[in-house]
Amino acid sequence: MRRQEALAVALAVLATVGTVVAALWYDRHRDAGRDVIELLAIQPKNGNWQPNEIRLERGRPVRLKIRNVETVSHGFALPDFGIGVAEIKPGEVHVVDFTPDRTGVFPFYCTVWCSPEHMAMAGRVIVTESVARASSDR
Amino acid sequence: MREGYVLGLIPETWRFELTRFPWVRRLLKSRWMPLALILFNVFLFTVILMAGFFGGLTSPGNYNFGIMIVWILWWVLLMTVLVPVLSRFWCTMCPLPFLGEWLQRLRLFSVRYERGRNPYFGLNKRWPRSLSNMWLMNILFLATTFASGFFTVRPAATFVLLAAIIALSVVLSLIYRARTFCLYVCPVSGFQGLYSNFALTEVRVKDPEICARHKQKGCVVGNERGYGCPWLLLPYAFRRNTYCGMCFECLKTCEYDNMAVNLRPPGVDLLVDEKRGLDEAYKALIMLGIAIVFFVTFQGPWGTLKDWANAATLSGYLTFIGLHASWNLLVLPAIFLLFVWGARRAARQSVPLKKVYVNFSYATVPLGLAAWIAFSLGIILPNGSYLLHVLSDPFAWGWNLFGTAHFPWTPVLTGLMPYLMILTLLIGLLFSIDIALKIARQTFAEPEAAVRGAFPILGFLGATTLGLLWLFVG
Repeated sequence: MRRQEALAVALAVLATVGTVVAALWYDRHRDAGRDVIELLAIQPKNGNWQPNEIRLERGRPVRLKIRNVETVSHGFALPDFGIGVAEIKPGEVHVVDFTPDRTGVFPFYCTVWCSPEHMAMAGRVIVTESVARASSDR
Repeated sequence: MREGYVLGLIPETWRFELTRFPWVRRLLKSRWMPLALILFNVFLFTVILMAGFFGGLTSPGNYNFGIMIVWILWWVLLMTVLVPVLSRFWCTMCPLPFLGEWLQRLRLFSVRYERGRNPYFGLNKRWPRSLSNMWLMNILFLATTFASGFFTVRPAATFVLLAAIIALSVVLSLIYRARTFCLYVCPVSGFQGLYSNFALTEVRVKDPEICARHKQKGCVVGNERGYGCPWLLLPYAFRRNTYCGMCFECLKTCEYDNMAVNLRPPGVDLLVDEKRGLDEAYKALIMLGIAIVFFVTFQGPWGTLKDWANAATLSGYLTFIGLHASWNLLVLPAIFLLFVWGARRAARQSVPLKKVYVNFSYATVPLGLAAWIAFSLGIILPNGSYLLHVLSDPFAWGWNLFGTAHFPWTPVLTGLMPYLMILTLLIGLLFSIDIALKIARQTFAEPEAAVRGAFPILGFLGATTLGLLWLFVG
């Protein structure tokens, strides 16, 4: 009986604390080795992409989590890196992994006609030399 | 219709004892039952709470695990299967009072039994007699529905609701004895209790004679095998499902294996004239009223109403609350009163109006349940496919656990939906008519008076069904 009581308590702890810890650990583990940037897709009249400007380092892997927090569909394109997500439905999250291989300023857009101001729904990615690379090049 | 038969077909006394199978009895007598189910749901609700907490205020509901599991899957399962078929089986495995009960017993699996009783931690007080009914649950459930526009689109609202219920259950478990919270406070307990009178399953005593001779009554006071009925019933005597939480403690404590789980015809408890009251009558009407309001607001073509419920403007939201409350607390009960008054007048019998009102209110239960099932079809068939998405990405963190995170929205059988709704409502009406005719015979002593008295109630049921059909498929 005592052993079964201990098992029940262990299962209860696992179901609660264990679940929270496991979820947080898995998410962290999944993103390991990358910069993670959460990008909110928002139509221009409500504030436009957030952040509107993304700063990255050349050669450093990045994960964009593009989250549509609105009730209209959006899309995403970063043409200079050949990245496109055809449709991000309301509430959906799309994950895009890439490693910028050149420096410069690169625009990104919404690709779904989301509102009359759709054409203004744009932001930019600024890729610079990484600090480590810049110092080793010197 | 034949006296003593449900729909003239199945004897009201027909029972099929499920616990006659040794493995079923063994399962229900194990202390892992229902603990294993509860622990699974504790895990599930931990994920739901996390999804609500991290989902925040803005995330649309269709891709949130908490909202999809609670308001699409759980609610629909509750209304379509759990309550009508399995009675209060949700209460069997509900994780919300888990912490409170653990604190009370200071045990999860085993049974504390000292000096001839189960000792409990906490003040172990009695709930006030004046609140020992469904009124508080009626008000709390109605008040909860005021925020229904938030619960289905704002994950944080679902989180706050569930967290508040858990917190309240813990506090009340430390003050009051046993499952007082579940019995008299939990917002979803009341309608489960009332609607489970229609259910196909029951826990009942097998042979009352054995109980009459047995003095120990372990099912009431507890013993080393289990706890005294946490729902404060006398398991050897109760005749309605309303307040039986199906925890199966009585099966564990009974020394003579004299408790059984039975299959039975639907609706037979609605005919049991025992402890009927205005609180339950109001519960029946409120549930019917809310089903109508929900359909009009959330599935109807009136966008303004939806905006009001979603609090697009404060004035709109207050208007929604005002109309919703007045309809459920005043207008619908008053309309029903009018028909009941007509029934009493037609019967020409000197039965108190309150008794007629209360008695006939139970006839609305099958129709109310059918309205909720029809409403549920309108939720699950168009939106069920979102469940595949949230299973793969429960916290909207970009996960894809089972490869279904980008499963497209796929409505299922929506072309058949109106016909399924019509069928459901008509079946509900049929059972309501059957119950109404029998209650008329209970209420008015003379057979002819009963027939006359039943007509206005049949009118109410028919008119309500027509109104629902117009709303659902008109």
